[in-house]
Amino acid sequence: MEKMTEEQVKSIANMLRKRSLWMIHYCTGCGAMELPPTMTSRYDMERFGLAPYVTSRQADILLITGYLNVKTLRRVITVYEQMLDPKYVIGFGSCTLNGGVYWDSYAVIKQLDRYIPADLYIAGCMPRPEAVISAFRHLMELIDSGKADGYKRYKRNLAYYKENQRKVLG
Amino acid sequence: MNILLEIMLATPFIGGLLAFIGGKVHRWVRFAVAVTFSFLTLIEAFVYYNVTIKGVVWGSLFGSKLILQTNPISWLFLFIVTAMSFLIVIFSIGDMEEDRIKLDSYYMQLLFVEGAMIGIVLAGDLITFFMFWEIMSWTSYFLIIYGGKKSVAAGYKYIIMSIIGAYSMFIAIAMLYVKAHSLVYADVATTLAHSSATFVVWTVVLLGIGFFVKAAIMPLHTWLPDAHSEAPSPVSPLLSGVLIKMGAYGLFIVLYGFLSVQLAGNIMPSVFSTPILLYIIQWLAALSIVLATFLAIMQEDAKRLLAYSSISQIGYVVLGIATGTSLGVAGGLFHALNHAIFKGLLFLAVGAVIYRTGTRNLSDLGGLVKKMPYTFTALLLGIIALAGVPPLNGFVSKWMIYEALLQKKEVFLLIMAFIGSTGAFLYVYRLIHSIFLGQLPKKYENVKDVPILMQVPIWVLAVSTIIFGIFPGLAMNVIVKGMKLFGFKPIAYTLFGFPQGTAMGALKVINISAVLAIAFVAAWVLFLILSKSRKVSQYDNYAAGQVVTPELKYNYSFGFYMSFGRVIKSILKLGIERIYNYWVDAAKIFGDYYMRRVYTGNLETYNSYIVIVVTIAAAAILLGGKLW
Amino acid sequence: MVKMILIAIVAPLLAFAIGLSFMMIKRKFVARIQRRYGPTIIQPIFDIMKLLLKEDNISHGIIFSLGPIIAIAGSILSVFFIPIAGLNMLTGSGDLIALLYIMAIGSLGMALGAGDSANPNASIGISRALTLMFGYDLPLVIIVISVALQYHTTDLSAIVAAQANGHWALWSLPLSAIVGFVVTYGALGEHPFDIITAPHEVATGPMVEYGGKHLGFLMINHAFHLYVEIALFVDLFLGGASNIFIFYIKMFAVFFIMMMFDEVLPRFKIDDAVRFFWKWPTVVALISLIIVLVK
Repeated sequence: MEKMTEEQVKSIANMLRKRSLWMIHYCTGCGAMELPPTMTSRYDMERFGLAPYVTSRQADILLITGYLNVKTLRRVITVYEQMLDPKYVIGFGSCTLNGGVYWDSYAVIKQLDRYIPADLYIAGCMPRPEAVISAFRHLMELIDSGKADGYKRYKRNLAYYKENQRKVLG
Repeated sequence: MNILLEIMLATPFIGGLLAFIGGKVHRWVRFAVAVTFSFLTLIEAFVYYNVTIKGVVWGSLFGSKLILQTNPISWLFLFIVTAMSFLIVIFSIGDMEEDRIKLDSYYMQLLFVEGAMIGIVLAGDLITFFMFWEIMSWTSYFLIIYGGKKSVAAGYKYIIMSIIGAYSMFIAIAMLYVKAHSLVYADVATTLAHSSATFVVWTVVLLGIGFFVKAAIMPLHTWLPDAHSEAPSPVSPLLSGVLIKMGAYGLFIVLYGFLSVQLAGNIMPSVFSTPILLYIIQWLAALSIVLATFLAIMQEDAKRLLAYSSISQIGYVVLGIATGTSLGVAGGLFHALNHAIFKGLLFLAVGAVIYRTGTRNLSDLGGLVKKMPYTFTALLLGIIALAGVPPLNGFVSKWMIYEALLQKKEVFLLIMAFIGSTGAFLYVYRLIHSIFLGQLPKKYENVKDVPILMQVPIWVLAVSTIIFGIFPGLAMNVIVKGMKLFGFKPIAYTLFGFPQGTAMGALKVINISAVLAIAFVAAWVLFLILSKSRKVSQYDNYAAGQVVTPELKYNYSFGFYMSFGRVIKSILKLGIERIYNYWVDAAKIFGDYYMRRVYTGNLETYNSYIVIVVTIAAAAILLGGKLW
Repeated sequence: MVKMILIAIVAPLLAFAIGLSFMMIKRKFVARIQRRYGPTIIQPIFDIMKLLLKEDNISHGIIFSLGPIIAIAGSILSVFFIPIAGLNMLTGSGDLIALLYIMAIGSLGMALGAGDSANPNASIGISRALTLMFGYDLPLVIIVISVALQYHTTDLSAIVAAQANGHWALWSLPLSAIVGFVVTYGALGEHPFDIITAPHEVATGPMVEYGGKHLGFLMINHAFHLYVEIALFVDLFLGGASNIFIFYIKMFAVFFIMMMFDEVLPRFKIDDAVRFFWKWPTVVALISLIIVLVK
């Protein structure tokens, strides 16, 4: 019985969480261009309770738009570690998946997943606002069903992630 | 019982001498003597709680009787003097621990200042008053110059302005003596009641200059920022909390002891139904409040900030005393007590910080709350009281002054008083933020809280801010009773505040504090139910992804109100100091270019002067006054 | 006694509900001004609940955590001093002047907490907040004095009673009322006075390090703050109200006009904001004060 209530509390909490997702975005040039239309009147992501926020302490979603390199990865990891649980990461665009057009660059981080746990990727170069919103909707479903557990994975496999980070950052 | 008055007056002087002698034996003897005698004085003061003694003759000079007297108003100041001195002596033991200077005479002078101030508040005639006034000025000068090289210059400034004030007082007293041949307060009052208006104005102005220099009212304040900030840490609260109150006490005696007839009858022309004399004093006080507040906001030095704040707060005291209504005068006197408490507390707390870190430059400090939590809490209470936020003591007295001004419809003064209080928020936050909040510099990582001997006086004062805030009736018992003697209508009050009818609204601080406490507990419980928070280091901080390291000075404390400074730039440019400096320069030029011609420093010249003078004198004697 | 306790529990909840309803309406209204569909109407509840239910919270120290708590305690205290619809729980224990300083308790707590977050953005935010407060305080005290002199009392319930039957201060002191509106607007920190939080300059200023339940508390405090500032304006100039619905309608009318200005104005520089407050609102307030004095 007690377990049931705990489950229920958790499901209520998840229900609330998915209705209010605050986002902090790491932007590189081209990726950021797709966000203004997503936020403003054309697509208006505030309909779903999504809003851009400023600092790492306030945000729930870390949106990585575009490629990461050695210098910026350190910042992104700092931001991710400063965020409060539960937190979710969305990799936005091909760059986060496999380096995109920079696939052969020595300085670009090719696969985001090796350094911080991504809950979701949006493929495309660049993904359109429809795709972004659909991704957010999908993330909400994952949160509702309790499958968006990237922050738990990060804690569980901390040694793995740290090892990978150390390899790149030195 | 009356002989006790003289004993009480003598106690600190004897104690001072004994501390001086005892210091030759061992320093603990010196401490023991100083603490014992200052405590003894405090106990003796309590004998006179709410007692009125009309006059004890203790001698006579130039045919004028020397008198000691006491009444509840004197007792209020007596209490401030003795209690603060006792706490400061205790604090000194901790703070002046290292024998960097000759401390024997330090305690002697500390106790002498206390004794002199007791003499001032107990004086029943102007000769006694003036005598102790001078002792106070000189001994406090010696205390100020303990602070090192810079403090010597500050001390000069202080003593020169004090001497100017003292001379002007002396002239007034001489004028009164010539007229009345007696300087007992009652006789002075009768003399002034029967004098011409010109005589009264001159006496009051001359006496007023003396008091205003001591109370640091605006055009005569320039000594205070230097002296208060350069004096040693335990001396600053004595100067700021107690010594400048003597000016307010003197003003009270002159206005309501000597001039009650003039003020009560409509002899003087009046503005806003206030006699013009009081009205001028009110404006001086209000200008002090606002301008000193602006200056305090822009300071970078903790003690200088507090020094300017003292000018502003003593402005409230004088403004209250000069309102002339029961509520306002009671508010002013109560604020004198409150200011002694919270400003003493703030100076001691800042002194504790200086003791541990060795600097009082605000932009060098920061983040000490984790290292000195007790000092922080005490200082927090002090700033809340200073800013006049309920439920602490500064609020109640300021509230009384506001209400008194509102009743008299003196709106412009009221606006200025309000502005000074809002401005206080700015500078007190600056003080607490730059010292205790923000990032902790690496060099202060091993700082500890101050020793218990320094904590005790700080915490006694901190608790007093709460006690007098929630129970203003405690102080009102004394003030209202004393004011009755000076012909004021008693105001209605309860232990917890003021009922409807005293002012334009009611006040009951206990309700405010109780509800605040309940609301706080309710919010706290809700806070605790929610998931626990984890403590993070100050370097784990938002910097847009940048990693904060100890080498990076990630702190905002220099020029905290720079943007506000741009707004009041034109006001800051006006400097009274510059006018004084102009006269100083003029005196220098006079000395260098003209007096040097006479006093050349050459022996032959001086010899020739002697020859000339002797010749003239001899000629005068020989001619036997036939020349005229 | 039971009634007292009941009121003591109901009043803060009511204040919170009213403040929250304004927050809800504002989100939607702003979205409509920007030609967006906008969030669901109860979005602020989701936000607050989510923040309170965060699994992980950070704290930089005791003062950091106490900041939001003191802020809420101060706000609840000021709620009790504002007479609404005949309920005046503590109005007899402190008057208008006391209320001005009681309202500062919350801000002081907030400022301390933000200072302890050891972040320069927070410090700059507080420096701006206090400077702005100094700015709008000058006209504020002038209008408070005008109202007190007009009704010969500083007792808030007496001021409300004197305005019964439509004798609002808005009609007798129109200039003061206009200034009061501007000051309330500045005190709420809406555009163009949102210099304190200014996300693009100082990263939400005092709130920069606050997240999770701390931030949730600050949002709750914002609801209280909205209520207190607007209710004070309604009590001073719109004659309070005899029942809660009329009171709500009056408050909403004031808030509605405020929302009109919000979101269409840019942001002041901090010293320009102070200069603004010390220029026109002060002059107009002084004119009104002199009219009251002469009358």
